[in-house]
Amino acid sequence: MTTTAPAAAPGREKVTDRDRPPAERVPERVDHSRERVRGLDRVWLLVFLAPFLLLYLGFTIWPLIATIYYSFFDWTGIGPIDDFVGIGNYSSILVDPLFWLSVVNTLVFAVLTTVIKLPISLVAAILLTRKWLRGKRFFRTMFFAPLIIPVAMAGMVFTYLLNPSNGALNAILRDLGLVDQGFDVFANRWSALLVLVLVAVWQIFGQYMIYWMAALQNVPEELYEAAAIDGASEWKKLTRITLPMIKPVAVIITLLGLVNAMHVFGLVVTLTAGGPGTSTYVVSYFIYQNAFGAVPFAYGYASAAALLFSVIAFVLVSAQGLAVRRAQRLRKEYGV
Amino acid sequence: MATITQSGTQPGTQPGRRSHAVRANLIALPILLVIGLVWIYPFLWTISAAFKTQAGMFTSGASLVPDQLNFDNFARAWVNAGFSGYFFNTVLYSVVSTLIELVKAALCGYVLARYDFPGRTLLYRMIVGTLFIPVASIIVPQFVLIENLGLLNTRAGVILAMSGGAGALYVLLFVGFFSSVPADLFEAAKLDGAGFLKTFRLILPLAKPVIAVVVIFQFISSWNEFNIPLVFTLGQPDLQNLAVGMMSFQGEYVTDWTGFAAGMTISFLPMLMIFLFFQNYFTRGLAGATKG
Repeated sequence: MTTTAPAAAPGREKVTDRDRPPAERVPERVDHSRERVRGLDRVWLLVFLAPFLLLYLGFTIWPLIATIYYSFFDWTGIGPIDDFVGIGNYSSILVDPLFWLSVVNTLVFAVLTTVIKLPISLVAAILLTRKWLRGKRFFRTMFFAPLIIPVAMAGMVFTYLLNPSNGALNAILRDLGLVDQGFDVFANRWSALLVLVLVAVWQIFGQYMIYWMAALQNVPEELYEAAAIDGASEWKKLTRITLPMIKPVAVIITLLGLVNAMHVFGLVVTLTAGGPGTSTYVVSYFIYQNAFGAVPFAYGYASAAALLFSVIAFVLVSAQGLAVRRAQRLRKEYGV
Repeated sequence: MATITQSGTQPGTQPGRRSHAVRANLIALPILLVIGLVWIYPFLWTISAAFKTQAGMFTSGASLVPDQLNFDNFARAWVNAGFSGYFFNTVLYSVVSTLIELVKAALCGYVLARYDFPGRTLLYRMIVGTLFIPVASIIVPQFVLIENLGLLNTRAGVILAMSGGAGALYVLLFVGFFSSVPADLFEAAKLDGAGFLKTFRLILPLAKPVIAVVVIFQFISSWNEFNIPLVFTLGQPDLQNLAVGMMSFQGEYVTDWTGFAAGMTISFLPMLMIFLFFQNYFTRGLAGATKG
């Protein structure tokens, strides 16, 4: 998991700093202003760190270590953890078709939602920050609205709207004469996955719109003014100023989008419950079903699955990060 | 946002530009309106379904006009189905976990940005490294921990789990902000004889944009939280939040859709108010927090 990242030697901070994306580099920038604590201030320092450290150690660091530990045992959550099975859990998971199905579904879901939600939320953000546009507040509220309903609730609403007998989708399809009988989108793996993707995009859209709007606001106004004096068209301003300026933030937004999508859980529970059959299982649902779904609980097995998927996700995400960084460096070298 | 709208009137002084803007609006507004209406159709449907009778729901489920104005659904959702309890729990979980996140992130971020101490770099690196850990992958040990603390099936347990795992991102936001505060300010405070705590109290109000972002983000995410309340209240339905509790409408054979719609209407209206109220603060705060 991601714990491997902090292992770098502290002494090399200056060298590695330059390689990090800007958002991470910011805090290190004003290095010289940091001071050593003396006397009574040491107590205050501890008091300030304590709340975060306690919760962080208890609910992030310890669970990480425990997940690794549990994954080597056959444990139902009751009684002592003493049934050591070595890599038994892992060898069962590697040949568990349901696990791999869940992994594939999760990755398909994550990539599809990211590919859909990022561009359209960027377009919306650009449009809704135009000076000439009327009613900006109204439209922003409209597109932001789905974010305020719990995603699990959104799932419930859509199970109704998409139901084959009297939901909105089929009412429209019937009115258009496209189908004569109810069409059940949840009867087929791919259409069910597509529905998951689209509902997820609909629900989270506002959050990414806000991210993009914040990125757009940080582009200095002077650049546009200078471009306007040079007689640049709106399109030129967009492609030559706006997009290049928000690129560093775009990398982070993409990363957030991918990783957040990999956590999908509530939507799957209410929208498809993994169905039809088990064909839309995602990893978090697989873990939940194994750990809490049915007795006897398989904590060890679930932990191994969690760990394995975290490793897969981490490798993919850092590969993407590396690829972006390399592309940026190449571009800088050739001055493109 | 306010600044944009103000400066928006400026280009209008040139007549050529104004007609250009009018034309752009004439094209953009209808398109936005149509997309927007489709976008919020599920909301409109929910509100109208909340007033429908069961029969009306059955015969014209997709229609936006309720067959009659029926307030029974609201009473049923609020009292019988326990939405009042879910609502109370959701507000409690969201408010308390937001407070915890805010306090711990602000304090830790301040110290990380201001002071050098043994292990500072290691802690900072660890926080960055654990930024993207999914809840689902560490929920089993969290469950075991809460169980061992004797807090399983208590509100305290849910709150602890909700505010324990997240927060790395918020700490980084605060570190970023406090690092950008000019050193002169701290020097001035020191010259005035302000100690550790006093200095913090002087500097903290400057961090308003970051505070706004953390509050809004954490409030929304805990309001929508599903995985943790579901797992940590498996034995106790009366501790559930709205997101988990509303599943009680989903019966084994039939789902009480009108009751569900009424419950949902009750639950999203307050959030909509909050958003409308804080909308300006939201983007401006986020822009301020990510600046630099």
